[in-house]
Amino acid sequence: MIKNTFKTHKIIISIFTLTLAALLYVNQQVLIYQMGLKIKDNHQVYSKIVDRNRILVYNVLNLKSPVSLEEKLLAKKVELGMPHKWQVVKLESSPKKFVSKTIVKKGLFANLFVVSREAEASPNVF
Amino acid sequence: MLLGARLFCVQLGAAKPLSKIASSQYKTFSCILPKRGIIYDRNLKELAGSINLKSIFMDPLMVEDKGSAAASLAEVLDIDADKLLHKLNNQKRFVWVARKVSPDEEMAVRRLSIKGVDFVKEPQRVYPNATLGSHIVGFVGVDDDGLEGIELKFDKFLKGTVGWRYGIRDAKKREVPGYEYREIPPADGNDVVLTIDSIVQSFAEKELDNAFKDRNAQGAMIVVMDPYTGDILALANRPTYDPNKIQEYPAEARRNRAICDFFEPGSSFKIVTASAVLAEGVVKPEDEFFCENGEFKWSRHTYHDHKPHGWLAFKDVIKYSSNIGTMKSAIKLEEKRLYRYIKRFGFGKKTGIELPGEIEGIIRHPREWSKLSLCSISMGQELTVNALQLACAISTLANGGYYVKPRIVSRVQDKAGGVIEKFEPKKMHRVIPEKTASELRKILRGVVEDGTGKRAEVDGYFPAGKTGTAQKIEPDGTYSHRKFTSSFIGFLPFDKPRFVLVVIMDEPRPAYYGGTVCAPVFQKVAGELMRYYKIEPKRDET
Repeated sequence: MIKNTFKTHKIIISIFTLTLAALLYVNQQVLIYQMGLKIKDNHQVYSKIVDRNRILVYNVLNLKSPVSLEEKLLAKKVELGMPHKWQVVKLESSPKKFVSKTIVKKGLFANLFVVSREAEASPNVF
Repeated sequence: MLLGARLFCVQLGAAKPLSKIASSQYKTFSCILPKRGIIYDRNLKELAGSINLKSIFMDPLMVEDKGSAAASLAEVLDIDADKLLHKLNNQKRFVWVARKVSPDEEMAVRRLSIKGVDFVKEPQRVYPNATLGSHIVGFVGVDDDGLEGIELKFDKFLKGTVGWRYGIRDAKKREVPGYEYREIPPADGNDVVLTIDSIVQSFAEKELDNAFKDRNAQGAMIVVMDPYTGDILALANRPTYDPNKIQEYPAEARRNRAICDFFEPGSSFKIVTASAVLAEGVVKPEDEFFCENGEFKWSRHTYHDHKPHGWLAFKDVIKYSSNIGTMKSAIKLEEKRLYRYIKRFGFGKKTGIELPGEIEGIIRHPREWSKLSLCSISMGQELTVNALQLACAISTLANGGYYVKPRIVSRVQDKAGGVIEKFEPKKMHRVIPEKTASELRKILRGVVEDGTGKRAEVDGYFPAGKTGTAQKIEPDGTYSHRKFTSSFIGFLPFDKPRFVLVVIMDEPRPAYYGGTVCAPVFQKVAGELMRYYKIEPKRDET
């Protein structure tokens, strides 16, 4: 009798454990699915924003293009052209002393997080 | 028992087809489109790029009221309602409604909430500079395949490789994220960097456009080139087109005339004859020729000068563009020797520029020449060339006698800037000695200083060049007296040339002389070039 009860308990516990494991598995799968959908939705939003940004960048490039600028300026009877030498005012570049002083003034912490020159223009090669 | 038997039958007999049906219901395969590469100018300004737009499609079997759906979609998208309805009445499960619509149109269609309408993202090629450099950049078709220009020639680099993904889908046919069991990501297209400078291209096009309109020409071309590297800084044609709205322009406007059209060069070609006679030593710049007061009979044919001249030194023969003087100098040279120089200058064969559709022009072999051919060819008749070949020829004089291969693409690079393929400048072969090139530069300076090309003068920069006015051939084979091809080819400064420019006008009216029509374009563009590159003007030539 005792032996049978013990066996029954064992079976019940096994079934319970298995059911619990199965439920956990299903729950996990559902969670993964939900998270996947969430990621997908977020990714869609992200790609939508990226696409929108790309369209806006294209619009800016379009507005900045010489053809578009010329069209607009010609409508106002302004013609674009390279300036003559006498039309250009050359400004002396800032002395090094002045530049270094300003960096020192920022303090140690500021300097730690200050990004130095990001890019340097290179002259055209002919 | 029965159930067991049935299960046994299904498992043994129908397992394969049933599992196939099941997998087709939940498995999904999708292509992942790569991003097409960007086309940049030499300063990495974007000339062609891509944006993503939505294309609209429908499953007609899911649409409840096809008539009203077609009507409302047609109204929003400005398309033909009857055509759309006809499409919807087909027994297909997939019908395109409109491809690559604007974001506003997409939103308007979404607001309609028609059942069976869905959207798919598709890349759209865009050209922010519109008409600027359109003949170089080219354009793509609706499926993003290059159809013209660099887009066509470098399609294999720009296109990239399509990726794909096997995944599973839910009951609503949505792809289940996180369950992709096989994925090959797409390889985005590489970027192409051109030798074009969009600023130079801009002012070259502006001046060409003005002249094209003012002179009522049928066509116009301009090439700006670096004579040492062969870099094309600008190349433009008129008429032109906007690659963003390709369907609005005729095929005529899309032709890259500078490399696809050939024409008789006329007097511009005298630079080749002059180079040949000077290099071969049969003529010296000071040698005098009697120009027959403008009328010269040779083998039953009478040749004329546009202005009568008596005795002229050879340098003045070129300066005043005397046909008779040039012919007489060419007669001193045998046919084969002139032919050899023509070939060395690169005429009669493709320049090899990285653009599609280039033609080689027509140069016949001396064994096919008539008795008149030597004279005619010496002054640029009986042969055809393209504008780029002329640019290469004048570059040879500018750079000291070398033929330099023109190039319009400097490199192909990946998204990180790593070079995939580099196109180095190529010095091909020596055409004429340095001394001859130097002599010719001085002679051509005379053309601008005091000859037929005075209108090309740019104060302080001392340009040199040669004018050309060639009669076009009528359909009956005779030379026209109404239709001309005008040209000006030159470089500046004449002693240390930095740039070479070629300006061609097809059938300008009423004025048609190269010195009147094309030289002013040269002058304006050359002036802007000097200012753009901050080249200091000089007080005098020495």
